[in-house]
Amino acid sequence: MTLAAILAPLLALCVVARGIGFLSALGVVSAIAMLVDGTDPLHQAGAAFALLFAIGPVWFLSYYQQDNLPERSGPAVPFLALGLMVVLMLAGSRPGVMAFPSGLCIVLAGLVAVTCRQAMVWQWAGLLTCVEGVLLSGIIQKHLMVVGVTVLAGVLIAVLGGMCVHRVLPRLAVVRASGRRQGSKRKKGKKEPGSALGAADAAPHPDYVPKPPRYDGADTP
Amino acid sequence: MTFPVFLAALAFAWPLLGAAVVMSLNTPRSREVAVWMAGGGCVLAAAVFLFPATGAAATGWDDDPVQRAGRVMLAFGLLLTVLEANTIPNRFLRGLPHISTALAGLACVTPDPIVGLGILEASLAYGVFVVSRPAGQAMAGWALLRTGSVGMFLVLAGLLLPAGQAASGLLLACGIVMLAGLTPFGQPWREENDTLLFLPFAGAAILLSMRLRPHGGDAFDTALIAAGLASVWLTACAGRSHDGLRMFRTFPSALALIAVGTKADVAALLFLCGWCLAGGSRSERSWAARTLACFPPGAPFVGCLLLLSMMSDWSWVFTVLTLAGILCAVVRAVPVQGEGHAVWPQDAAGRVACVVLVVTGFLVPLAMMLGAF
Repeated sequence: MTLAAILAPLLALCVVARGIGFLSALGVVSAIAMLVDGTDPLHQAGAAFALLFAIGPVWFLSYYQQDNLPERSGPAVPFLALGLMVVLMLAGSRPGVMAFPSGLCIVLAGLVAVTCRQAMVWQWAGLLTCVEGVLLSGIIQKHLMVVGVTVLAGVLIAVLGGMCVHRVLPRLAVVRASGRRQGSKRKKGKKEPGSALGAADAAPHPDYVPKPPRYDGADTP
Repeated sequence: MTFPVFLAALAFAWPLLGAAVVMSLNTPRSREVAVWMAGGGCVLAAAVFLFPATGAAATGWDDDPVQRAGRVMLAFGLLLTVLEANTIPNRFLRGLPHISTALAGLACVTPDPIVGLGILEASLAYGVFVVSRPAGQAMAGWALLRTGSVGMFLVLAGLLLPAGQAASGLLLACGIVMLAGLTPFGQPWREENDTLLFLPFAGAAILLSMRLRPHGGDAFDTALIAAGLASVWLTACAGRSHDGLRMFRTFPSALALIAVGTKADVAALLFLCGWCLAGGSRSERSWAARTLACFPPGAPFVGCLLLLSMMSDWSWVFTVLTLAGILCAVVRAVPVQGEGHAVWPQDAAGRVACVVLVVTGFLVPLAMMLGAF
């Protein structure tokens, strides 16, 4: 049991409470926990993947404008995750032996984030938290199959989540460019029709299109 | 390489070959070729069931007869899907049922169920990639990936806990219920994608659950039975409302999970047959609804008898609850609309499904009596 292994579930709770911003810190602490446990190639590879799955998505998201939709889930969600962690610890403890399944606590926090949060980016962060947790647990237990499957799942979730983010969120470069264009037009005294919607108006929801007409029989199975 | 091993390898590669052929052909001819390839897959799966590779168990590959028979059901599910489908212009969508069936079959036979889970996740990711490609479908695809991944992580978390622990069994059962898409716990599947991706995916999850039983212990069995009973009773309570019809789609998988929890694997196999051939969006048709509601003749009816006989040895309370739930669901939830009240379907796909369901209902108990299972 290391300090990093204790800190990692707390950072997972921060992901549940505050969002994807804490994912990088969680990845770094998970990687440290893995490397403290051992420095053989499995641990090193696990730490590298933990860093990749934590830092890559956050870096990717920095190119996109976050949506500021109000979250309907209440402030009790992190406490739900905390309660589940306590239940897991109580279920796993034996008389005289105090176990702290750090990785599985992270998984539970991630699952709570995925199921209780409505924002897509937050759910993506929850799934990546689950990846970090299973990876940490698999590495500490030296379960090669679990590590392999988790890496595969992590790659798929990161790629498909990234594709979804690319389609759903507006890119910052586009938003800034349209803002600059509108600013220069205002300076020239031209009035932009529809500019009341703001800068994001020039970068509409990339995945929003009017619903196509229902496929006829020749198009659907 | 012996002949049975070659046959087994060919049976796994065949749907992938079928996907490659169907995707490479031009649209008008693709449906006919897809039907032939799927038919060939059925013959190969049946041949693998009859001539198992005896050395496979020694090398770690699963050689359980129930799993082999389950792969036959998956192959017939693919045949029915392509028989029902009209010509699909999209190449990726055309190849999707072949690829998802191939990966589902491979997931059930891997030496370690964890690897099977990874293959299922890859199948889900490919399916999500295909179904979410059209504009406006990104969030729908994300919802599928999210729910499926939650199920997979629950199962992985259960497998990381010590075997036989209550927490391990509960996590495994919750994960399997999510992967099998059991309403109201499972995936938000819709009509457009459920026969192409969901039927083999959920079928593989049911088959995988049999292999997770040694790790899950009694808690796993009890949780599966509880989830299945909850789904059956909620289906009965929802009646014929819109939600009720949605819940009735997964009625056979609920019964299959109860059968897995009761250790009645052959009954689960018969419910799986009902799921692959009459489940999903087909369940709104008259013949499929009657089959799924365990009306004789048909595989689910025989499965229901087997399940109740096995369950009565285990617990009378659960037997009465299951029987009452099935009867309530039959009385309240079986959809009556659709193609009239026809028991015998008018289309070729429906006729093939009915014949296979009836023949399976006779052959599986016969094979059980002869000691094949």
